[in-house]
Amino acid sequence: MHFAPPPYFDPGSGSIIIQVAIAAILGIGVAMRGSWGKIRGWFGYKPAPDDDSTDDN
Amino acid sequence: MTINHDPLGASFRDPSGFLFSRAGILYRQVNHTASKDYSRLMDSGLYERLVKASLLIPHSEVDAPPADASLSFKVIQPQRVPFISYPYEWSFGELKDAALATLSIQKRALKAGMTLKDASAYNIQFVHGKATLIDTLSFEIYQPGKPWDAYRQFCQHFLAPLALMALVDIRLSGLLRVHIDGVPLNLASRLLPARTRFDFGLQAHIHIHASAQTRYADADVKSTVARGVSQNALTGLLDSLEKAVQKLNWKPSGTEWGEYYANTNYSDSAFEHKKETIARWLNENKPASVWDLGANNGEFSRLASRMNIKTVSWDIDPSAVEQNYRAVKAAKEKNILPLLLDLTNPSPSLGFANEERDSLIQRGPADMVFALALIHHLAISNNVPLPRLADFFAGICRQLVIEWVPKPDSQVQKLLRSRRDIFDGYTREGFESAFGGRFHIRDSVDVRESERRLYLLERR
Repeated sequence: MHFAPPPYFDPGSGSIIIQVAIAAILGIGVAMRGSWGKIRGWFGYKPAPDDDSTDDN
Repeated sequence: MTINHDPLGASFRDPSGFLFSRAGILYRQVNHTASKDYSRLMDSGLYERLVKASLLIPHSEVDAPPADASLSFKVIQPQRVPFISYPYEWSFGELKDAALATLSIQKRALKAGMTLKDASAYNIQFVHGKATLIDTLSFEIYQPGKPWDAYRQFCQHFLAPLALMALVDIRLSGLLRVHIDGVPLNLASRLLPARTRFDFGLQAHIHIHASAQTRYADADVKSTVARGVSQNALTGLLDSLEKAVQKLNWKPSGTEWGEYYANTNYSDSAFEHKKETIARWLNENKPASVWDLGANNGEFSRLASRMNIKTVSWDIDPSAVEQNYRAVKAAKEKNILPLLLDLTNPSPSLGFANEERDSLIQRGPADMVFALALIHHLAISNNVPLPRLADFFAGICRQLVIEWVPKPDSQVQKLLRSRRDIFDGYTREGFESAFGGRFHIRDSVDVRESERRLYLLERR
C-alpha cells in the first residue's frame, strides 16, 4: 500500500514503527471482541451502545 | 489580489487554510488543497454530529472575500471562542477532558471515513464549559490502512503531561509552557516512576515509544507504513490511549486556599456583605467580561457568570482550579472558565516570533477585573510597589473591583511574620494615591465587621 505523507509535519519514524507494532497487537483484541460480539448476538445479546450515541464530553 | 486582512500569528503551519481577521471578524480561509477533505466533513454528516455533541466549533460559510484569493476554495466564519486558553493554564481535569474529546472526535471521524491529521492540544478550547475542537481543517479523508499521523503528537500533548501530573507532580503541567509541541517522550519516560513500566498503556505509548524514537530516528519507514494499520488495529490503538488517559487521576488535596474561607478573619456577615457589594456593582455596570484574579474556587466569579457574563476564574493553586473546574462540570456551567495563573509570572507570548501563543495581557483587556484578597500577595509577598500594581491593572481592565487589605489584617501579618517590614508605603492613603493616578474611584465600601475596604475603580 502507498499512503500520502501527512500534509505538514513529520509524524516521526520511530512513532510510526512503534504504532504499527502496538496497533497490530491491540487489533487482535478488537477483532476477538468483534467475533465474541457476533457469537453473543446468535444467543440474543445486544451490543452496548457505541460512542456516537453518548455525549459524555 | 489581497484585501486588507490580518493573518493570525499561530495559523501558518497547515497549508489547508488559515485564520485571518478583518474588521474585527474572525474568518478561516479553506484552501483548494483541502477542498475534498472539507467537503467530506460537511457532506458526510460528521460536522453536524460533532457540533451537536459540542465537540467541534460551529461555523457558517460566508461570502466575505478571501485573504488570499489565488488559494481560496471557501471562506468560513467560525463561532467566536469567548476566551482562548492554553494547555499550560489548564487544570488536570481540563487537560484530561481535552484529551478524551480528541480521542472521541477521532473515533467518530473514522466511522465517517475521516481521520484527525493532527492532535494538538492547542486545537482544543473550552467553549460553554466543554472541550471543543476549534480547527475545522483538522480532518482529512481516511485512507484505509494508513497509520495515525497524529499518534506522536497525541502522546506528547496529552498522555505524557497527564501522566507526569498524575504520577509525579501536578506542577509538571508547566513543561507544556517550555515545550510548545508537547512534552518530549524521552523526558517523560525519564521522569515517570519505574512502576509505570508495568502499566501497559504507559509502557507502550511513552516508554517504548520514546526508545523507538531514538532507535529509529533515521529509519526509512516506507516499508513499515506500507504494511499498514488495519481499522481494527487503529481502533485498538485509540481504545488503548483512551484507557491510559482514563486511568490517570489526580485528586486535589491540601489546597493552598483549601481552608481559606474557613480561616479568614471574615465573619459570615462580612462575607455576605462583600458578595452583596460586588453583585450590586456588577448589576449597575453590566461588564461584558470579567477576569477574577486569585479566584480560589470561583465563589466570587460565579456572581458574574450567573449573570451570563463571560468570566475567567484564575488562580495560582492547581487544586483550587481543579475544584473550580469540577464544579463547572457538575453544574454544567457555561459562562465560567477556571484557569491556572501565577500573577508574578503570567503566561508570556510564546512560539515562533513570539506570535503563536498570546500572553495574558495580549488576551485582554477584560471589561472588569476582580482583585479580591489579592493585593497583599502581590505588594508584600512579591514586593511589587503599589504604583506598578496600578499600572498593571490599568493595562488589563476598564473597571477594577479591588479589595484593600490593610497591614493590621491577620492575613498580612502572616506574610510579615518571618520577614522585615519594608512596606512603609503600604497604607490606605498610599493605595488610593497610587491607584488614583490610573483610575477614578467610582465607589468604595468598608466591608462590614472587617478592616478591609472594597473599591470600584474605572480606568482614566
